[in-house]
Amino acid sequence: MSSITEPIARGSHFNRILVIAGHAFTQLVRMKVFYFLAVFAVIAIASNFFDLPQHEGPESIGMNVLRSIKSWSLGTMTLFSVVLSIVATALLLPKDVEDRTLYTILAKPVPRFDYLAGKLLGVLILVFVSLAMMDVLMTVVLQIRSSMILTQQIAMAQAQGWPQDAIESLRAETAQHGPNWALQGAVFAVFLRASIMASLALLISTFSTSTLFTTIVSFLIYFIGHFQADARDAYLQAGQAGEGVFARMAALVFSLVLPDFQNFNVIDAVIEGQAMPLMVLVKLSLIGLYYALFFTIASWFVFAEKEF
Amino acid sequence: MKAWQRNGILLAALLAFGATRLPLEKSLGDELRKDGLVPPPLEIGTRDKIGQTSSAVALGGLRTLVATFLNLRAFSFFQEQRWEDVADTFEMIVDLAPRTRYYWETGSWHSAYNAASYYINNSSMPSLRRKEAWRAAIYRGRAFLERGIRNNPGDWSLLSTLGFMLTDANKFPAFRDPDATFITAADTYQKAVDTGNAPAFVNRAQFYALARAKGRETEALALARALYADPKNRLPTLQALLLVLEAHENPALDTAKLAVELFGTPERALEALSGHWQRTRERFPVDGVASALGALEQTLAVPPEKSILNKPLQVPSGPDQWFSK
Repeated sequence: MSSITEPIARGSHFNRILVIAGHAFTQLVRMKVFYFLAVFAVIAIASNFFDLPQHEGPESIGMNVLRSIKSWSLGTMTLFSVVLSIVATALLLPKDVEDRTLYTILAKPVPRFDYLAGKLLGVLILVFVSLAMMDVLMTVVLQIRSSMILTQQIAMAQAQGWPQDAIESLRAETAQHGPNWALQGAVFAVFLRASIMASLALLISTFSTSTLFTTIVSFLIYFIGHFQADARDAYLQAGQAGEGVFARMAALVFSLVLPDFQNFNVIDAVIEGQAMPLMVLVKLSLIGLYYALFFTIASWFVFAEKEF
Repeated sequence: MKAWQRNGILLAALLAFGATRLPLEKSLGDELRKDGLVPPPLEIGTRDKIGQTSSAVALGGLRTLVATFLNLRAFSFFQEQRWEDVADTFEMIVDLAPRTRYYWETGSWHSAYNAASYYINNSSMPSLRRKEAWRAAIYRGRAFLERGIRNNPGDWSLLSTLGFMLTDANKFPAFRDPDATFITAADTYQKAVDTGNAPAFVNRAQFYALARAKGRETEALALARALYADPKNRLPTLQALLLVLEAHENPALDTAKLAVELFGTPERALEALSGHWQRTRERFPVDGVASALGALEQTLAVPPEKSILNKPLQVPSGPDQWFSK
């Protein structure tokens, strides 16, 4: 145990956080979470086979397959990242209590904030690494398939006598559905949403009495977070539909307390072949960072005076 | 610090945090919605129809994944020829993924082409009911596509698909006024051209639609001349229609001479105009074609028994033939 706690006790806040993060990462990797990547590989490859017949010209040949690969892959990434971030974070504190690692660490001169931030960072590194590996796999599958489709499209367009400019336009349109920066941005948006959930689960786990409670409440908040914008709009447009004061106040509290995940649905637009402006990603990143910082500080506030 | 004090501070901080992020998120949400990067909220009816599990998954940020599942389900319905279920499923799919061209085109195709053909051939129904079901399927396919265009106004392919449907010889007989249908098709193709992304054939398709609309011959002729100026557009249909419209404009025109000018040789002119003469199903105009064919056959010494003008024309098949028994 001392091999873990000794380096934690020494050095700066940043070093301590990194050591704890590294330990949390190793702890989670030992739970064999990366086995999920095999499942993801099967899904990414299987999504290639949903090439349904359709009424099509060169411009739409095979486009459904590209969309299917993106839809299945990003959907799986979303599910995996959200489940992993919630469950892993919910497990960390109770597991450290159970293993008695927590007592050893907190007996050293380790600020509780460093401990929480390190644990959260460990989970986020795990989610990031997993998503990066899935992203590489998805990009490779998509690259191979989009090259095949583009070859077919161009052959068909040439056979139909399309002029070169139209073929170039077709090539650009197909590239929108292939591996591009917007898709990488969408994967990063998946990571940001998972980061918010991990930091929220950390906050819940600081006052929760069980892992199950943390997990269930976090998932509920995740789903409700996709309606939060509706509540906010209901509050902001209140009075137009004759809502009462109570309904308006309820909508306000709902929108202030719960996170808004609807803006992250920009991922769907990328799956549909739209481009994601860099500025949108920057704004989403700032919002994600804002959430993560607030929830981590709030977690420390609760955890700081907690007795074990 | 007592527990109630700590909880109070935490709650106040949570509310303050919410108050600071609320305008940021609202502004970003409005921006994304304006740019079409976030789909509109899911209709309550759609949430009910897709079921609780799918609804939860869709609301959990996986709308396109649920749309993909539903597309597979729609394909099963298509294989089982359950047309109402196919149409209902595509209604749900486009609610989930309104910016995906494929779903609009495929949903419309299933209705206007597959379901409509099914009713032509389904002998278990009385002819009047089959005819009405056929017409309703085409109308529904058209309405679905028009809704897709309203949702994706800059998509040339959706506009072109609608134009194709309205000029399809198996579809336009379903609409009451063929001339109005051809004019709508030409306008639709024009909108596709105006997007700036449409391939050249869309421009030609616009002309083919306009050439068939009675009363728009002058406009069609101007377009034909403009298209003909580009050698890439010199295809037999366009060349034949240019001749027809020139003959309509000037009935005294020597069409045989013009035909040779347009097609290069009398042999090629005869072949192309013979093909045009026999394309009765598409309702292309034929002004001046008979006189041109007669003169060309005389030049090429085609015996009367082999004359295209003496061969019976294909009777245009349509609802009257399909639903006669």
